[in-house]
Amino acid sequence: MINLFNAGLAVYLGALVSAVVFLMSSRRLFDIIANVLMSAGALMQTIYIGIRWSEAGRAPFSNMFESLVLFAWSVAVIYLVLRLQRNIPWLGAAAAAFSSLALAHASTYETAIKPLMPALQSNWLTFHVLTCFLGYGGFAVAFLIGIGFLASDRKASTVKPAMRETLDSVMSRTISFGFLFLTLGILTGAVWANSAWGTYWSWDPKETWSLITWFIYAIFLHCRFMRNWSGRRAAWIAILGFLSVLFTYFGVNFLLSGLHSYAT
Amino acid sequence: MTHIEGRTVRSALLIPRGGSSMSEQNQTETPDKAETEPSAWSLIQSWLGSLKFSLFVVVLIALACIAGTLIPQGEQVSRFLVKNPGHHKALEFMTRVGLTNVFYSWWFATLLLVFSSSLTVCTLKRYRMIGRSAGAVRIRVIGSLITHVSLLLVLAGGVIRAMWGEKGVLQLSEGEIATSCESQTGAPMPLPFAVRLVTFELELYKTPNEPSNVGDVLYVQWPEKEMMVPIAMEATNTPVVVAPREQAGQDNTFQVKIERYLPDFYVDAASGEAQSRSKVPNNPAVYVSVIGAGVTNAEWVFARFPDFTRHKKPGVGPRMPLQFRFVSSEAKPAMGRSQGPVKAFKSTVEFLQNGQVMLTKTIAVNSPTTFQGYTFYQLSYNPEDLRWTSLQVVRDPGVPVVYAGFLLMMAGLTVVFCVGPYLDDKRKGSEKTV
Repeated sequence: MINLFNAGLAVYLGALVSAVVFLMSSRRLFDIIANVLMSAGALMQTIYIGIRWSEAGRAPFSNMFESLVLFAWSVAVIYLVLRLQRNIPWLGAAAAAFSSLALAHASTYETAIKPLMPALQSNWLTFHVLTCFLGYGGFAVAFLIGIGFLASDRKASTVKPAMRETLDSVMSRTISFGFLFLTLGILTGAVWANSAWGTYWSWDPKETWSLITWFIYAIFLHCRFMRNWSGRRAAWIAILGFLSVLFTYFGVNFLLSGLHSYAT
Repeated sequence: MTHIEGRTVRSALLIPRGGSSMSEQNQTETPDKAETEPSAWSLIQSWLGSLKFSLFVVVLIALACIAGTLIPQGEQVSRFLVKNPGHHKALEFMTRVGLTNVFYSWWFATLLLVFSSSLTVCTLKRYRMIGRSAGAVRIRVIGSLITHVSLLLVLAGGVIRAMWGEKGVLQLSEGEIATSCESQTGAPMPLPFAVRLVTFELELYKTPNEPSNVGDVLYVQWPEKEMMVPIAMEATNTPVVVAPREQAGQDNTFQVKIERYLPDFYVDAASGEAQSRSKVPNNPAVYVSVIGAGVTNAEWVFARFPDFTRHKKPGVGPRMPLQFRFVSSEAKPAMGRSQGPVKAFKSTVEFLQNGQVMLTKTIAVNSPTTFQGYTFYQLSYNPEDLRWTSLQVVRDPGVPVVYAGFLLMMAGLTVVFCVGPYLDDKRKGSEKTV
């Protein structure tokens, strides 16, 4: 099974190389190859998750390795869905790089299927983790677009204003998507916590940081839609929001102890 | 004096920038009494409902949350000081200003109260906006209104819990009856009924050396070859022939038979006979007889106490030529022996009223049970004494309100982020067609 994992990583790296060659040469063939490889990588990862799910007898979303695989998968899938609607030439390279990095980092963790502790033996595990990571995936893509926007919004930049408007609009949409799923993730986590421990909110570091992340994106959405914030300011909030996502995901696991300590 | 006449309302919420509905959102609010000075109440309302103020409060709450996760809180303080004695003065200062108990401090509660007030005014503003908007914008305003109402419901649920909720811990040993538990403050929390722990069960994951799917197994061991012959429990009363040495012969062949199986072994004081106290495998034991090589003997073998055997007639008869090990998949480990990853732990409890058993339920992690408004959760257990269980007892009348808030929140956000954009796209499509 680990071969399929490695093959997925190799295919994402292939997509990254093709996407970079496309950016440098502007030959459309490499763009097609990059997107085909991204699709193949996402498909291989889907199969890998499916096999692992079947072997473990439960959703493979219980530790750092499994969640990183899910993170890479969600970024790839969100990019591919986005690619069907909008063409942002460099986003494929950025998404492929992100997914490759996530999988490469995942490979540094224990890959063996471990039995679940009693608290995790619940169907809520599937809903809670899946929704959270779809949200994280949306925020990751928005973060990549935010960086791209800031890079393109320089005096020396040759990027056309129409593309900057597209970036701005797609960033807003991916954050809306991420916000919807992060909210669902927080709420399913609360319902699960209530059924496991009798309290839907206990100010556990992971819960608290997910709330901080939720606040940052709520501020983004209010500023954008009520004060027409766009462009650089919106891009900076998208970047700040994703840094908060990263701290919620990694920082809390490794620096702070709490109810989610098992997720390392 | 600030005048609010002619103030532009830019808050037709969640309208995409550059959309054709801008004319709908940039409406001018005309006060009812244009010429009169605004009252203090309307000024407070205007202040509380302003986006700047609302977001300022949200930022303050977020900063408080960051402090609450980075600074040791509550019981963590003493543990932190043991490891970092040099930080004593800094933590003392933080305790004085309420930073070591952020989420339960008066100032955090005040922040939440101000946030709730601001949210209420914003909600009312959105309600008023519905009549002034149309089409996709109206749908989004409705979605936004639902989302804001849902947040208020969640906060209200939290207040209900704080005001009328109860939470305690109930520690029971098997057979014990309790009519109260210990509240978070350490005071007794009386229950309107009695609770009796029938049994506590701990299930461990199989370690690689243990059989994973064969259930109860009796191993037969002889030191010379250091081998084990598993005899499945299903073969009870069926003799099994074992030959310790390779060359079978009269002095090397034994007939091993599992004569009896008792799930909860005890010796009746009156009769001196081995009996089972219950059908629950609290102390599983098998009575094994051995015939062969001039030996006829039998002994009790215990799953929880592998070093202890009980002969039918202690001190009588030749020494047992074989050794046995009984592995029961359902047996509770003996005290202090609960090693290995825990698969499940559960308590079977009875709820009694006037001495009558009203309900018998098994409570496990992720599987609580509710009786008369009190919900019992499997919290923990004592690994040193597996007859004990620890249950969380919660009565939270705010949960239905909170869950209603959760449902409304998802409904509101779906309207804002899915229905609204869908209607926008549809409108743009029809405009292109025209």
